[in-house]
Amino acid sequence: MLTRKLFRTAWGYKSQFISMIIMITLGIGIFLGFNMEWYTIEYDTSQFFADTNYADYRLYSQDGFTADDLEKIAGIKGVEAATRFLSVNLDLKGTSNKSLALDVSENYTVSTFVVMDGEDYDKNSDGFWLSDKFAAANNYKIGDELTLEYQGLDISGKIVGLIKSGEHMICVADKNQLMPDYNSFGYAYISPKKLRSIIQEKIDNMISEDLPAFFVNDDAVSEAENKIYAQVNILSGMEKEELEDAVKNALGKTIMVTPKTDHVVYKEAMGESEEGKTMGSVLPVLFLAIAILTMVTTMHRIATKEKIQIGTLKALGFKDRRILRHYTSYGLFIGVVGTAFGMGLGYLVCKSVMSENGMMGTYFDMPDWTAATPFFCYPVMIGTIVLLTLISFLSVHRQLRGTAAEALRPYSPKKMRKTLLEHTKLWNKMRFGTKWNLRDLSRHKSRSAMTLFGIVGCMVLMVGGLGMRDTMSGFLDLLDKDISNYATKVSLADNADSEKAKQLASELDGDWESLMGISLDGDTVTLDIVHNPKSIYNVINEDNRRIELSDEGVYLCLRLKDKANIGDNITFSPYGSNDTYTAKVIGYNRSIMTESVTMSDTLADKLGIDHTPTDIYTNMKTGDIPSSDLIAGKQNKVQLMNTFNSFVSIMDGMVIILVIAAAVLGIVVLYNLGIMSYVERSRELATLKVLGFRNKQIGRLLISQNLWLTVIGVIIGLPAGVGVLEWLLVSLAGEYEMKLMLGPLTYCVSIFLTFGVSLLVGLMVAGKNKKIDMVEALKEAD
Amino acid sequence: MSIVKFDNVTRVYKTGEHELKALDKVSFTLDESKFVVILGPSGAGKSTLLNMLGGLDSPTSGTITVNDRDISRLSNDELADFRASTVGFVFQFYNLIPTLTVYENVELVSEISKDHLDAKQMIEEVELTDHLNNFPSELSGGEQQRVSIARALCKNPQILLCDEPTGALDSETGVMVLKLLLKMAKSYGKTIVIVTHNQSIAKMADVVIRVKNGKIRSIEEQNDPMSADEVEW
Repeated sequence: MLTRKLFRTAWGYKSQFISMIIMITLGIGIFLGFNMEWYTIEYDTSQFFADTNYADYRLYSQDGFTADDLEKIAGIKGVEAATRFLSVNLDLKGTSNKSLALDVSENYTVSTFVVMDGEDYDKNSDGFWLSDKFAAANNYKIGDELTLEYQGLDISGKIVGLIKSGEHMICVADKNQLMPDYNSFGYAYISPKKLRSIIQEKIDNMISEDLPAFFVNDDAVSEAENKIYAQVNILSGMEKEELEDAVKNALGKTIMVTPKTDHVVYKEAMGESEEGKTMGSVLPVLFLAIAILTMVTTMHRIATKEKIQIGTLKALGFKDRRILRHYTSYGLFIGVVGTAFGMGLGYLVCKSVMSENGMMGTYFDMPDWTAATPFFCYPVMIGTIVLLTLISFLSVHRQLRGTAAEALRPYSPKKMRKTLLEHTKLWNKMRFGTKWNLRDLSRHKSRSAMTLFGIVGCMVLMVGGLGMRDTMSGFLDLLDKDISNYATKVSLADNADSEKAKQLASELDGDWESLMGISLDGDTVTLDIVHNPKSIYNVINEDNRRIELSDEGVYLCLRLKDKANIGDNITFSPYGSNDTYTAKVIGYNRSIMTESVTMSDTLADKLGIDHTPTDIYTNMKTGDIPSSDLIAGKQNKVQLMNTFNSFVSIMDGMVIILVIAAAVLGIVVLYNLGIMSYVERSRELATLKVLGFRNKQIGRLLISQNLWLTVIGVIIGLPAGVGVLEWLLVSLAGEYEMKLMLGPLTYCVSIFLTFGVSLLVGLMVAGKNKKIDMVEALKEAD
Repeated sequence: MSIVKFDNVTRVYKTGEHELKALDKVSFTLDESKFVVILGPSGAGKSTLLNMLGGLDSPTSGTITVNDRDISRLSNDELADFRASTVGFVFQFYNLIPTLTVYENVELVSEISKDHLDAKQMIEEVELTDHLNNFPSELSGGEQQRVSIARALCKNPQILLCDEPTGALDSETGVMVLKLLLKMAKSYGKTIVIVTHNQSIAKMADVVIRVKNGKIRSIEEQNDPMSADEVEW
């Protein structure tokens, strides 16, 4: 019988029950969704990395690695597998601005791929295994012919398989490119045998031009091959320092060893996961907290409204235990239903981000998108249900205290006490409505605080979401206009001659930079030697203004700020060399993606650092730049910036989720509390009606209370939102060095939407006022 | 001079398929400045009658005229204005606003009534000046009902409508409240209509309307009503 009562009572309080279930659904859903998102990234990517033998370490040498070097490295205790590896960006013949990273994993034990369609890997094959995403974006099929251009040579073959590789899970051509664009850039693997035949062909071509055939033999091909394998990829669980020493001992020279944590794919994937963790630690907690607090307030109100019924059951002879069990089951019911819906919502939120068609679908290229849940989510969900049940238990337990007669007495609200404001002259000048609302707020402090909390939460989410987008747009604007003031970026070949490269830069009327890996306090960072008299490629400071590079010292990027103060000296050593250099830190700069130390080329010359330009930035159009052996690739800035659009669209998706969540949160919390306030004051409202107040006047009173709380909520929520955003940016600083930027539109939209939500709910509640039955409402005693 | 006229007023309440006739073709008139008691057992329809007169409810059929104005077909806003200007209510359970002080509860009517009286003077007349700044929860039942009377009269209405005004009070306090009510109504020249099931109150009235099963059983004019002190409570 009591079960029947449970459902009927729930129906009687349907708006409260529904709003509580929505709140718990939202709380659990957002909590679960965000946490599933980062965990799924870690889970799926690590699975994919394992399946494709993603390298733990990459060893680089400009001189290349010989087969003998590889044998020595593979022989190091602790190295599980090692392969000579080549990855070079080549243009696709017969297309404009399409290029591929061409990879060779010599013994195919490390940095391999999974075949999605076509032939399995064959070390003797003459064909290409092409990225399936690139193939789909460009309409390539198995059996189609592919031709790549390599220093004046055509590399041709049939597509034999469509693949995915962990090495290119985030397929970007350039360190400045945030998002893959499979229409213009992909990757392909060839067999080592095919590579050898290409080298042979290159040498054969040279014979006819420069070399007598007499000098060419198999050794010459192997020597060229040694040069071309500038990378060794390793699977090993060793520490970086340990491996560095072991490699140095084995080869007799210092080799640049970069762990996977420095590789763009792993770094970005883990960065995304960290970003998710950061987001997952703030916003969902806010939702859950609001959901639980709403539950506390609402359950307390329901229990007080049910007091007479509780007393009646007690008087009828029901034991306290049974009554408690009955009312406690309300919380359990809400908890279980809300959590079940929340799990569904969480899965949808996670899938909307982490699935092939989701927001990350264009970012990660991997075969398996299984949603995974971190273990701690289960105790949190169970804990929430237990907590909600406990809230109901405690609310009812309070009403059950004392005898049946005491329980039968109606609930009497707290007695009114005067507030401090009432002792001032200002109070007497206030109108009735103002006094009425102020007293109501002070009498129902928990309800008012919850309403305020809901509005602040709504505001924080809106400012946070929209502000994140502003900041990202500002960041891209900065990249587009202030930093990269060029039309084309020309990447130079690894073996380019320094003087010739500088000569080319001058011919192209461009700025240039030379990037190299250095070891700074044991960390691998990038040394960026910049020559930028034309302001085409700029280095910017913390305030996003161009730095005229001084020749007196180096600039550390903001992420390396902790390494040294201005005026301190830093010592670093380029990889592949035993030389160390010391330079004074004279400032900090904002770097886009890499952790870097920046200096002018004049200072590099002064310090005697051997460097060759790696990239030239010019205002010439991509098509107007003549081909040259020096040039490894050309990239149009418009094309690069276009790839950011997909990044921005991911951001937009997240922002939309947040803004919708904020609006739903605001509406549900405010409506729930508004209805509660309306029910509690229905007798007062009926009295006002009887006295002769019009519906509109009473509606205005109700709405004005909501609007006051909204004003206070906005005043608190605005700086709180900016604070949360700043905190998020600090937490994400490891990935991007972004400066907080908030456009006036964000302020306006956030304030407008929050007021809109408040006004909408106010009108919904005020509309109910028309239906108050004056006669019924005034019948009962207070 | 007649101030109120009920003409064939019927009020039917529908609950699902069931119909309940709370008032059945009720007709009567009330004169100005009279003390009228509507008497009847529980469920007779007396409160419905009072609610119709006060503009809290509208008849299903028939007309109610107050000051020659048909109030039975007024809009919600017109009814609100009617309640604000013409009638004052005193309820069994006082219905004061718990978050307003005594003074503020009375002063409240100045928000809606143009012709209102001075709130402080009204509170003085119900002898609650000492409790001006108290909240309702700090007052006894009798004191709360006196605030309610002050509030009703402060609007300066023509008709004072009281629904079981002594129903929640002990008999001593009830008599005291009744005396005050009559004194105030007389001194301000108001028509006063009290709905009650208490036969003793009827002895003090100028007119007694007896209601049963939604119909008027009798209308009795008393030329020599008793004073509160003469009535045996």
